[in-house]
Amino acid sequence: MKSKGAQERKRTFLLISIPVIALFFCFNTLPLIKGFIYSFTNFKGYGSYEWVGLRNYIDLFQDARVGKSYLFTFKYAIVGTILTNIISLVLALGLNSKIRCKSALRGIYFIPNVLGGLVIGYIFSFIFTYVLPTVAQNLGIEALSSSMLSSTGKAWIAIVIVGCWQAIAMNTIIYISGLQTVPEDVYEAGSLDGVTGWKKFRYLTMPLIIPFFSTNMVLSMKNFLMVFDQIMALTKGGPSQSTESISYLIYNNGMSGGQFGFQSANAFLFFVVIVAVSVFQMTVTNKKEEQL
Amino acid sequence: MKTHVKAAGLLIAAMTAVTALLGGCGANESADGKTVVEIVQYKPEAVKAFEALEEKFNATHDDIELKIDSPNDAMTILKTRFIREDYPDIIGIGGDINYSNFLDSDMLMDISDYAGLADIKESYLRNAKELEFVPMDGTYAVPYMANAAGVLYNKDIFDEHGWTIPTTLDEFYALCEDIQAAGIQPLYFGFKDTWTCLAPWNAICIDLAPSDICAQVNAGTAKFADAYRPVAEVTKSLLQYAQPDPYAYSYNDACTAFARGESAMYVIGSYAVPQIKSVNPDMNIDSFVFPASNDADANILNSGNDLQWSVMAGKEDKKEAIYEVLDFLYEDENIQTYLDDQSAVPCKTGDFELPSMLDGMKSYIENDKMADYQDHHYPSEMAVDAMIQTFLMDDSDNDLDTFLEKFDTEWVRYNRDLIAKVQKFYEENPDKLTEGGNE
Repeated sequence: MKSKGAQERKRTFLLISIPVIALFFCFNTLPLIKGFIYSFTNFKGYGSYEWVGLRNYIDLFQDARVGKSYLFTFKYAIVGTILTNIISLVLALGLNSKIRCKSALRGIYFIPNVLGGLVIGYIFSFIFTYVLPTVAQNLGIEALSSSMLSSTGKAWIAIVIVGCWQAIAMNTIIYISGLQTVPEDVYEAGSLDGVTGWKKFRYLTMPLIIPFFSTNMVLSMKNFLMVFDQIMALTKGGPSQSTESISYLIYNNGMSGGQFGFQSANAFLFFVVIVAVSVFQMTVTNKKEEQL
Repeated sequence: MKTHVKAAGLLIAAMTAVTALLGGCGANESADGKTVVEIVQYKPEAVKAFEALEEKFNATHDDIELKIDSPNDAMTILKTRFIREDYPDIIGIGGDINYSNFLDSDMLMDISDYAGLADIKESYLRNAKELEFVPMDGTYAVPYMANAAGVLYNKDIFDEHGWTIPTTLDEFYALCEDIQAAGIQPLYFGFKDTWTCLAPWNAICIDLAPSDICAQVNAGTAKFADAYRPVAEVTKSLLQYAQPDPYAYSYNDACTAFARGESAMYVIGSYAVPQIKSVNPDMNIDSFVFPASNDADANILNSGNDLQWSVMAGKEDKKEAIYEVLDFLYEDENIQTYLDDQSAVPCKTGDFELPSMLDGMKSYIENDKMADYQDHHYPSEMAVDAMIQTFLMDDSDNDLDTFLEKFDTEWVRYNRDLIAKVQKFYEENPDKLTEGGNE
């Protein structure tokens, strides 16, 4: 038998959560379901359409362009995630140590995250097209003397550079907050046992910031997989479709091209893929977590 | 248990309320009882001309309020609005595949009873007609402005060296050699923006390939591999006269370079002129038709419907107001307002002052030696522009075969529903095949 007060408390909580659930349903679940339904049609985004059954899903696995976009996106996301996490962890270690102008430096390192993706993209586009080739020509570096963005082999590296440059800011902040949760007495105990340098990081710091590491891995992997603005501003999927990410393809062919139904199927598949990747990352990193 | 039912009820009520709120946009009448006519047109660069026209219309009409929207990326905005079933009254779009798709989706109103159609030049009405996937009864678009594509050239550089306008392909190559010998860059391309790859492609296509090739392929009577082989060869041959690594530069970069005199010629459409003049207002630009054939008479001007008006279906109750707006837009002085702002060719017959940069193309316009852009028939999701870019960047020996083979297979892949529809139509109406095929 529950008391009356407890029941009333429960009702209040329910009332608080209902509007949020309703909004979430309207703007997230409903579109997802709608998209899923459209994925069985040849809907162009407007006008009349017909049901085509599973044809869109069968086409997805036979479409070379879709396959290429998955390859590109995963290559980009894996390289980007690894680079971002390594660099931001190193930066965080530096910015968390006792150095001068710590707050100012932290502020400066955070600026890339405040700027919009498109603005950064256009600035870097100028750098890659005009500044970098001129510098490379003067220095006599053959490989960089033409624009990176115009080469099918190098354009993705340029996008990785811009993507990392921007993503590192947020990851660094998360790592810094993680490092601050590590209590000083753990290090003191460690120093009594003579642990220093790499061993100190590997056996004391790392196990204690694993939760932050897993958050960062999941977040940056997800963000890199959904790369869009940088591509829009830097290459628009080119040269010769070598940098078309999944999101870019879905937007471009679903909205401005007439493939709303087909790209809805692609978007649904992409949703499943992202969920699967995130769940996989969580289970792997959760196993390594240590509690004090 | 009871609370659960209640909660579910509340949830559903809240959701319906939100959905109703989202759906309830769009008004037919303004607060003071005027009929509102809303136009969305897709040329943001013409926003000034249309703002002036909108103001003029509203100052002279008491019963109708005209609203003209000229958003960036209007096609995406329109399509997003269509998904929400929120339709403007008139749309001003180009005569391209989007028009064909809207028409095919039964979204446009038959306006064959609009009196102004009688004043429109025949070739532009034909351009619009050719865009129908299967021949339709009635008229669904009124062409407003056309553009012309070919080669823009720097008149001062040409006059200085005494170069003349080429009329055959060999003369064109010879001209490029001369320009190169004089130490000037003959051509400049902005192939980083893939769509600019279509500018030379289109201009060459109409000289060398049948104008209805897409319809022929859909009807199953031709293949791109044969028709586009010479087109692809000539397009690629232009690269030897272009700046190194043209894929590094965007459309803006190319316009700027041409405006600063870094190249003598620029293969693009008349629509680029306002952009070029914004960099160098005093530049002396003229143009000529791209001579892709060695038979001078086979070369025709590439001119398509740049802006045409269509009325959305279901606006019958506002028809009078809509036609009044159209009448206003087609008044000679209002067309001239647009022409003074943008370099365009009016689709209405009459004596208009054409921009001087079209001088080299005037005889083709007057003699009606014009054909539409081929890319107006390409589905945008097929990304023919990117395919051409890939072909141009491909250094291997079998680049041409790879490209042409890909073109045919991709075409079938992206037009599957359309091809089925067209072939079914001709099966049912075999008598229309020759008629539709030759148009």
